[in-house]
Parts: sequence; C-alpha cells; structure tokens
Amino acid sequence: MFETAVQTFTSPVVLFFVLGLLAAFVRSDLTIPEPIAKAMSLYLMAAIGIKGGVAVAKSGIDATVLSALAAGIVAGFVLPLFAYGVLKTFGKLDRINAGAVAAHYGSISVVTFVTASQILTYQDREPGGYMVAVMAAMEAPAILSGLLLARGMGSKGGTQSFGTMMHEVLTNSSIVLLLGAFVIGMIAGPQGFEAVTPFFESGFKGILCLFLLDMGLIAARRIIDARSVTWRLAAIAIFLPIVNGAVGTTLGVMIGLPPGSAAALGVLCASASYIAVPAAMRLALPEADPGIYLTMSLSVTFPFNVLINIALISSLSVYLTGV
Amino acid sequence: MIETVTRKRIEILTDKAFVPRLTAEIDRAGITGWTIVPVSSGKGREGEWREESVMGTDKVFVLSIASQERAEKLAEALAPLSTTLGFLLLMWDVEVIRGERF
Repeated sequence: MFETAVQTFTSPVVLFFVLGLLAAFVRSDLTIPEPIAKAMSLYLMAAIGIKGGVAVAKSGIDATVLSALAAGIVAGFVLPLFAYGVLKTFGKLDRINAGAVAAHYGSISVVTFVTASQILTYQDREPGGYMVAVMAAMEAPAILSGLLLARGMGSKGGTQSFGTMMHEVLTNSSIVLLLGAFVIGMIAGPQGFEAVTPFFESGFKGILCLFLLDMGLIAARRIIDARSVTWRLAAIAIFLPIVNGAVGTTLGVMIGLPPGSAAALGVLCASASYIAVPAAMRLALPEADPGIYLTMSLSVTFPFNVLINIALISSLSVYLTGV
Repeated sequence: MIETVTRKRIEILTDKAFVPRLTAEIDRAGITGWTIVPVSSGKGREGEWREESVMGTDKVFVLSIASQERAEKLAEALAPLSTTLGFLLLMWDVEVIRGERF
C-alpha cells in the first residue's frame, strides 16, 4: 500500500498535475493555450485508441473481453442510480441537478483512465488493451440513466430532441476519435502499428504530463471560482469514487479479469466524466447547473482519483486477486 | 458620400453547445447570415468563466445584422428560451452599407 502510494506520487504524470494545482492556487499566470490543449487531447485519444486496438488484435476477442464489456455497460447503467439516491438525500439536490450529476458519475473520464494505465503499467500491472473498448462503451449508458432519472420515462432532450442529443453524444469528437483509432489499431495490428510507433509511443508520456498540468490548472481555477458546491456535494464527490471504484474492482475480479484490468475497471467506475457528459447535459438538461456537475467531477473527483483513489483501487485489486 | 441605412445589430452571448439551436432560430426568422466569434473569459451572475474548449464549456458570440422586423421576430422566438439556456441577447441600431442585403 505504502509502496503503491510512493509510486503514484513519484510519477511525473501525477507530479505535473500537482504542479498545475499549485500554480493555480498561487495565482500564477501559467496557462496552456487552448488550441494546444485541444491538440494534446486529440493526440492522447488517438494514441490510447490505436494502442488498445493493436493490443486486442494481438490477444483476440475472447470471453474475458466480452465479459469486461458487459460489466462496463451494466455498471454504466446502474452506477447513476446509486449516485442519484445519494445526491437527492444527502446532497439535497433537486431532481434535475441530481440526474445531471449522476450521469457524470456513471460515465467515465478518459484522462483518469490514461493516468491510471500509466501508474498500473509502472507497477507491472498493465491493463489489457480491450479496456479501451470498455471505456468507450461506458460513456453513453450513464447519460441515458441520468436523463431518465432527471426527466422520467417520457424524457425529451431538453431544448433538442432525444435523437439529436444522442447523436451529439455518440458523434462527440472524443468518442469518434477513440473508437476510430481503436478500429484502426485492430485493422493495422502490431505490424502496421510499427510504422507509427515513434509518433504514438515516444511522445505519449511527455504529452500526458503537459495535459495533466493543464488539467491541474483548470481544476484548481474552477474550484477557486466555485459557488454552487456545498460541503455535502464535495463529500459526495469523494465518497462516490471510493464506493464505485471498490464495486468496479470487485466486479472485475469476480468476472475473472487480471489485476491490472480489474483495477482499470474500478478506475473507470470511480471516474466521473468532464468532457462528453457535460456537453450532453448542457443540451439535454440546460436547467441543471454546470457549476455543480463540472466542479464536482473535475475539481474534486478528478484530483482525488489521480492523487489517492487510483492507488487505493490498485491495492484493492492486488488484495482481491492475491497477485 | 456613401449611402447607409439603419439596421439592427444582434449579439447573443451563449454557451457554444446552444449555437445550432440559436442559429436555427436566426434562419427561421428569415435573417440571411450570422457569424460566430469565440470569446476568452468573463464574469456573470454565476461567477467567472473562461474558455475551456477541451470540455466544450466555452462561450461564443453569435453576431447578426437584420431589419427591425426580422430582429423583432427573432427576439420573440428567443425570449421563451432565454431563462433555460441562459444566453444574453443584445440589439442596437447600426448604419450599414448595402442595406438591401439585410
């Protein structure tokens, strides 16, 4: 446990994130220009997608892959139900805001997953490449659950039709690039990937460091400006990833995933979306307060996951599997 | 001396996510064009905000020029949405050349 924590806090990826947090808290003028931040996020999506696809091309699609996919989809639908109950009762949120926040906590954060993959790989527990597909599959179900909770069975997509809203979600740039690169990786295979390896392998960790620096800046600046998040909501933003992470990791071990992949499933369940779901909720539930759901997912849950929870989940997966 | 005519300049400060909805209303009002202008940061009743394109939470200005009649038609269509979508709609008179285009 102690060793895992040390490995997490000496990882350059995590240290750059901490640097971003500190820079924002001391009101430094450090910023990453938006076009560069956007380009880095596109690079990371493409890299993680293609590497996952190549890994699946190597290992093939077997019962483990299919059960991981099924577990991820079921978790995506079910996790918002628990989150909604906690947000309504302890968090004292109204139905619309509770539904919107619940959707974030059932969905996933790509950057948390990538950071966890780096840390787990550093600990010789690299998650299977198929976990990238599980991640992509977990993005949308939670949005459906959150919408149904917020609006009831006859839900319409706020200012737009439900079909238009789902089109926005499923054609979201991160999903298209992630899944597209995953398919490209599967088609190209290890041999085809060799040609682009220098681009997607060499720069990956460095770019992830800079991206995490930017995320640290954004997360801290948002919490400095936060007005809508009460102590109850801040507590939920830490409680939910602990519970969801434990549930996801246990589920992963129960379906026979190796420790790294079980931990990755735990991290996916623990993470909260702050890219695809906020955009979808802004369209579908415009009455919901983005100051609540973005601050909770980005400024509380994301730092908590990166700094503490990934290490906890990794330790749990080791404890449960005994590996 | 260049001849100018008076038209309405319409500015809508909105979340980028709502642009398709708003431009559809502009088209429906019979206004022939609009321009999207990115903005970097600001402060409103909900506190400070800044451009965060990675999360898609950034805001933009939708600019358009229209006749008084079409501008009023647009304002009537947008008024019921203003509370839900939380946008800021401004209109004022401007002098334009080639007024027949607007």
